[in-house]
Order: sequence, then structure tokens, then C-alpha cells
Amino acid sequence: MTSAAIATQGLTRRFGALTAVEDVNLRVAPGQFFGFLGPNGAGKSTTIKMLTGLLAPTAGRIEILGLDLAANSIEVKRQIGVVPEGMALFGRLTGAEYLNFVGRMYGLDRETAAKRAAELLDFMQLADQPKKLVTDYSHGMQKKLALAAAVIHGPKILFLDEPFEGVDAIASGTLKAMLQSMISRGATIFLTSHVLEIVERLCSHLAIIHRGRLVAQGSLEELRAGVEAQAAAALPSDGGQAAAVAAPGEKLTLEEIFLRIVGGARPADQELSWLS
Amino acid sequence: MAELTFAPGVREQLAAIGRVRWQLFVNSLRTLRGRLELVSHIFITLGFAAGGIGGLVASGAGAYYVVSSGKTEWLAVILWPIFLFWQLFPVVATAFTENFDTSNLLRFPLSYSSFALIRIVYGSLEPATMLSSLWLLGVAVGVAMASPSLFPWAALALLLFAAVNILLARMVFSWVERWLAQRRTREILGVLFLLFIISFQLIGPLMSRYGRSAHPDLRQFAERVLPIQRLLPPGTAASAVASAAGGDYAIAAGTLAILGIYGAAIFCFLHLRLRAQFHGENLSEAPALAESSGERGIVRAGWSLPGIPGSVAAIFEKEIRYLSRSGPMLFTLIMPVFILFIFRLTPSTSHRSSGSFLGGSSDMAFPIGAAYSLLILTNMVYNNFGPEGAGVQVYFTAPVPIRSVMLAKNLAHSTILALEMVLVWIGASLIYKPPALATTLATLSGILFALPVNLTVGNLLSISSPKKIDYGTFGRQRASNTTVFASFGVQIVVVGLAAITLMAARSFDRIWLATVVFLIFAVVAWIVYATVLKGIDHMAFGHREELIAELTRTS
Repeated sequence: MTSAAIATQGLTRRFGALTAVEDVNLRVAPGQFFGFLGPNGAGKSTTIKMLTGLLAPTAGRIEILGLDLAANSIEVKRQIGVVPEGMALFGRLTGAEYLNFVGRMYGLDRETAAKRAAELLDFMQLADQPKKLVTDYSHGMQKKLALAAAVIHGPKILFLDEPFEGVDAIASGTLKAMLQSMISRGATIFLTSHVLEIVERLCSHLAIIHRGRLVAQGSLEELRAGVEAQAAAALPSDGGQAAAVAAPGEKLTLEEIFLRIVGGARPADQELSWLS
Repeated sequence: MAELTFAPGVREQLAAIGRVRWQLFVNSLRTLRGRLELVSHIFITLGFAAGGIGGLVASGAGAYYVVSSGKTEWLAVILWPIFLFWQLFPVVATAFTENFDTSNLLRFPLSYSSFALIRIVYGSLEPATMLSSLWLLGVAVGVAMASPSLFPWAALALLLFAAVNILLARMVFSWVERWLAQRRTREILGVLFLLFIISFQLIGPLMSRYGRSAHPDLRQFAERVLPIQRLLPPGTAASAVASAAGGDYAIAAGTLAILGIYGAAIFCFLHLRLRAQFHGENLSEAPALAESSGERGIVRAGWSLPGIPGSVAAIFEKEIRYLSRSGPMLFTLIMPVFILFIFRLTPSTSHRSSGSFLGGSSDMAFPIGAAYSLLILTNMVYNNFGPEGAGVQVYFTAPVPIRSVMLAKNLAHSTILALEMVLVWIGASLIYKPPALATTLATLSGILFALPVNLTVGNLLSISSPKKIDYGTFGRQRASNTTVFASFGVQIVVVGLAAITLMAARSFDRIWLATVVFLIFAVVAWIVYATVLKGIDHMAFGHREELIAELTRTS
């Protein structure tokens, strides 16, 4: 398990009788923009919590930048940034105070923390109301602040749990610009999201988790090829013509790939007939 | 579109909320922590029940005595303490007060009347209302036993009195919450309180000047105060019953009407707050703060504490900033001085004393204030992750050991306690007299012992039994039942030990002996504190899942 930015081996997490994540073997190379997908309750957040030290695995091993997370948790935490579920903000601080606080928690000196906080607030367009408390920020502003806090110490790996959830197009654009600039400078990003269009546009590599098990992993092209090959193998009698899952000349979208891998949606038109 | 048959009855909505609270309680029993909470809750309830039943018997016997001896007007002597307890206990003992957050009810098709009723009914489900209602029941039974024909009048007067109390408590809570939420009104309240403190300096000279010439014993005092107190709810309720006892039914009815007018007037003030809440009022300081321009683009560097690592200084700064923005918590911190005022106003039962409680032992004012300061810190020290909410995750993702986090929080709380000590010392000096040097040293060494004991147990409970609290809302700073129960146990042992030591040293007229004993205890306590702190990371990582789950949950 070396030379990967993130690598897991047999990663498992049980909650009593429920196995939330089972035997997950992930491998994320340095510099990859990695999308980690799955339906609700599939185990995405549990996995990201284990990778960032917020949750202990029941079994398995996690290596971040070649370091065993269990044995070197402080050293690993110095090199990663996290936007966890719920964003981990302190509501009764101002944005600047919060960034200052997080910067110093990551070992930055007072002056550097303040300087970077000012730059980040400016970049994220949060500098207009310096005395506003975080609790009074809109959801999008909070997301931007959480991302700013996650990068203030210049991490080599960034873990983002649903960074685009509830974010408007303008804020989303700012977030994407920052993430792409990090990738261009060699950082690794591990992201979970339900917004598949954004994942398709941003991520070079993907993994899909379903019912706690990793069901697909690779580049988007590899996943697409896999789905098409599977479809072709399922209907060999017509020479693979019926298995052309996308119109001629068109590629399968990530949403189509995702739905084929984890199972289709149920038609709602015959249910909940009382809905107007 | 289908027919909308919304606007279900108020009764159904109240029942639905009752059911959901019951389901929340039942679901909470699925975890070990939830079951521990229940056990603690039972013990706390038993404690309150003992107080309630004891008070019921005492108030019943008292009511029986005054009615059967023809002094029905003296019912006021029973009703006044009940009134004061009802109104002051929720403010003084916030550890037992839980203010039900109804803001999320606004998304349901709730009429204003339903909303107001829910706020009043569920807001009243707290110990002060329960106990006081029991005591009023005792009064009613006592009156009925002494004079059965008086019971309907007594029942009506006491019901009205209870309604006035419930409405007044809700009104005071909601207005204090409103005033404390904004900086300007908070500052005005602070100045008023300061003036209130200073005015108490006049009590001593006034008492010595007028008190001696009038020889005020309890009866004379009561005779002078009776006409005034009759105008206030406890006196009005007692007067109504007394008038009925004397056969003046018209006056009794008129007096009850006055009580009703009190209730209506209080409800009007409460209505102003409830209406604002119903229309989605946000008590945040944001608008006022946003208006002030600030310096765009400039971020001031964080605090620097000499000899303290940057991460610890950052957490210390965050703790102090949080506290300084919490009106309710700041309000709680002035309570120790307030308690000294209450003692100053409470008549002494001792012949030795000079009129007020502690009058003959005024050197004990500082130790008592100091002990109460420790009690006040309970909510912070014993649930020190509570105000973080989802922010607690930062401590587990940042490269900082949890022992550093705890150390920073302990440092902040110790600083607050030190400031409290100064405030209490000044308060005791102004209200009574400056504490003697020996008493001051003994108290400080006692605090040096009590502080590490509280911090040690507080750190352990903060990890094992956390509860999300809201620093910004009055009455929502309540720790878990397990924490309240355990912290009370610790306080009883520590304060009891300190009191016995202090009293023993005082009886030998060797206060310095207490200082020596406390310092020996303190050394042991600090060693235990350091040992526990050293191993706290292991415990924190063992409990991180429950800790994060509890503090990040949204309801």
C-alpha cells in the first residue's frame, strides 16, 4: 500500500448488527480529483469519516500519503483538510475569527493565519460583512467558509463531504474554481456528492459504493466501458445492437452509468395517487 | 387540487407534540447514555419530589393554621415564598431549566393561539412550576380542612395565582432572552445591575439609622409591609381568600378580578414577545453587527498568550469570544453576587445577627459567594463541548491532541472563575464588609482545591455525557441529567468538605488552619487532574462517535 495518496485495505465498519462499510479497498493516486459516489445510506459518509479520523474502523487499514492513519494520526491530520458532514463551523464566531482559529489549530503562526484568512475571505467573497457571525451566514456562505477553513493550512489532500449540497450557482462556481486550482497545483481531492453533473465535470476518477461494498472504481472512461461491456454481454443474441445503451455517437452520462451500476429508479406515476 | 382540510384543532396539535416528545424520550432509551439519563432523571425527580411533598405538607399545615386561627390574610406569608421561588428558581438554577425550542413548529399550519398555548404549556413543564403547583395544592387542602366553605374561593384564587405565575415566568424569560440577545440592551441591563449593586451599599446605613429606632421585629415589619404587598399577586390572592372568610364576597370577587387583571396585563406583555416569535423573529445580533462597517479585508491576528502554544491560545480565545457573545451566560455569571443580595435582604432568624441572613457571619459572604460561583460554572465545565455543535469535529480532524483542547478550555474556565472571585470579593465587600485576609486566603486555597476536582470530573463527563446546548438562548444551557446529577454529587462532597474544614477552623478561631488543609488537598487534586488529563486522548477517541453524533444532531 505505497505511493498512493489514499489507500484502504479491507476497510470495514459495523454498527451493531448493521455493516455500514464492508471490505472496501480504495486506491487514490496523488493529484487525482476523486469522486466517491453512492445512493443514500450506501456508506459514503461513514467511509469519509473513517478516512479523516472521525470514526474508528471495525477492521481494515487506512494509509494516507504512505502513513498508517491509526499509528500517525497527528502527522496525517497535518497534511489533510476536511469539510465534514455538518461543516464543523463555530456559529458564534465571525468568519475571520473562525479561519484564524482553524489556522492556528493547524499550527500556523498568528500573522500567517490572519493573512491567509483575509485572502481566503476575499477569494470566497465573504469579506463584505466582517462582523457577521457564522450562524447568520447563508448556507452557501457557510459552505464557502468551511472550504476556506479546510484549505487554510495548505493541505496535500482535501476530503469533502457533499460540498455542493444546497449551494447556489455563484457559490458553486467559486468552490469549483478553488478546487480546480488546487488540483492544478498537485493536491489530491476526495469528494462525495449527489450532484452527478458536477462530479462528471470535475472528477478524473471515481468509485461507487452500494450497500457498504465498493462496486466500481476507475476513471470515468473505464466505468463507462465496463457498463457498456456488461450490457453487451447481457444481450449477445442480437449482436450487441440492443445493448447500445446510449444513442449512436453519444456517450453514457455519469448519471446513466451510476443508475446502471446501483440499480434503477422506481416509477412514481402509479404511486402516491393522492398527490396533486 | 384536493380540498384542504388543514387547521386541525389545538387539542390535536398539543397531543401530537406531547406524543412526539414521548417518542423522543422512548427512542432515547435505546442507548446506554439514554438509559443513564433516565436513571439520573429519576434521582433528580426523587429529590424534587421530596422537596415538593415536604413543601406540600408544610404549606398545607401553614394554611390550616392561619385559616383556623382566623388570620387568613397571613396566607400571604406562604404565597410570597412560593411566588419568589416560582420566578427566581428558573433564573438562578438554569441547570434544571430546559426551554423548549418551538421555533421549528412554525413550519406547521399552526394558528397563533395554538403557538402561544404550546409555548406556555410546554414552557411551563419545569421543576419550579411543578413544585410550586404542589405547594399551592397543599395550601388549598389546608384551607379546605380548616374551613370547607372557603375552599371554592381559595381554589379560584390559587388557580388565578398559578396562572399569573406561569404567565409571569414565561414573560420574564422571553423578555430577558430578548434583551440579552442584543448588545445594546445587554449593556443597559449590565449598567442597571451595577447601579443595583451600588445601591445596596445604602442598606447598611439605612438599617442602622432607622432600624434601631423602630425596633423592627418580624410582626412590626410585616404590619408595615402588608398594605404594599396586598397590591401584588401573592398578597392579592391571600386578600381575596381573607375577604371571603370575612363574608365580604363582593370585595373577594373584586380582589380576584384584580388578580385577573394582573394575569391579563402580563399576558399582553407576553403576547408581544410570542407574536414576534410567531412571525419568525431572529434574535441574532447579525443586523446590528452587519450595519457596523468593520474593516474589510483586514483580519486581526489571534490572541497571543505568553508561554502558551498557539493552538491552546486559539481555543482559549474562542472560548472567551463565545462567552462574551452569550448574554444568557453572562447573566448567569453575575448570579453569585445576586445571591449575596438575596442573603442581605433575607431576615435573619438568629438573635445574634444584625437584621439580615449572614448578618452575624458576614465574613462567610465571600466563601459562600465563591462556592456559588463554582456551582454556576457547572454548566460550562461539566459539558465543555456542548456549545460547539458540529464544530466539535474540528478537534478530531485537526492535528491537536484532545488534552490540549481540554487544557485550553480548562484555562478559559479557570480565568472566568478567577474573574468571578474578584467580582464576588467586591460584591461581598460592598454588600457586607471587606472579607478578612485570613478568610480570603482560606477561600482562595479552597477554590484551588475545588477547581481541579471539578475540572477533572468535568473533563470526563464532557466526553462521556455531552449535550448540545445553545449559549445564545436563555434557558437552553442545560447539561444532560447524568451530568447535572454527577456534578451535584461532586459539589456536595467538595463544598461540604470545604465548609466543614472552614467551620472547624473558624470555631477554633484559626482560619489559617483551613488554608493549610485546603492547600494539601489542592496538591493532591492537581496531581489527579494532571494524570487524568494525560490519558484523556484515549478516552476521547473511544467516545468520539457518540460525542460527535450528539453534538451534530439537528434536533
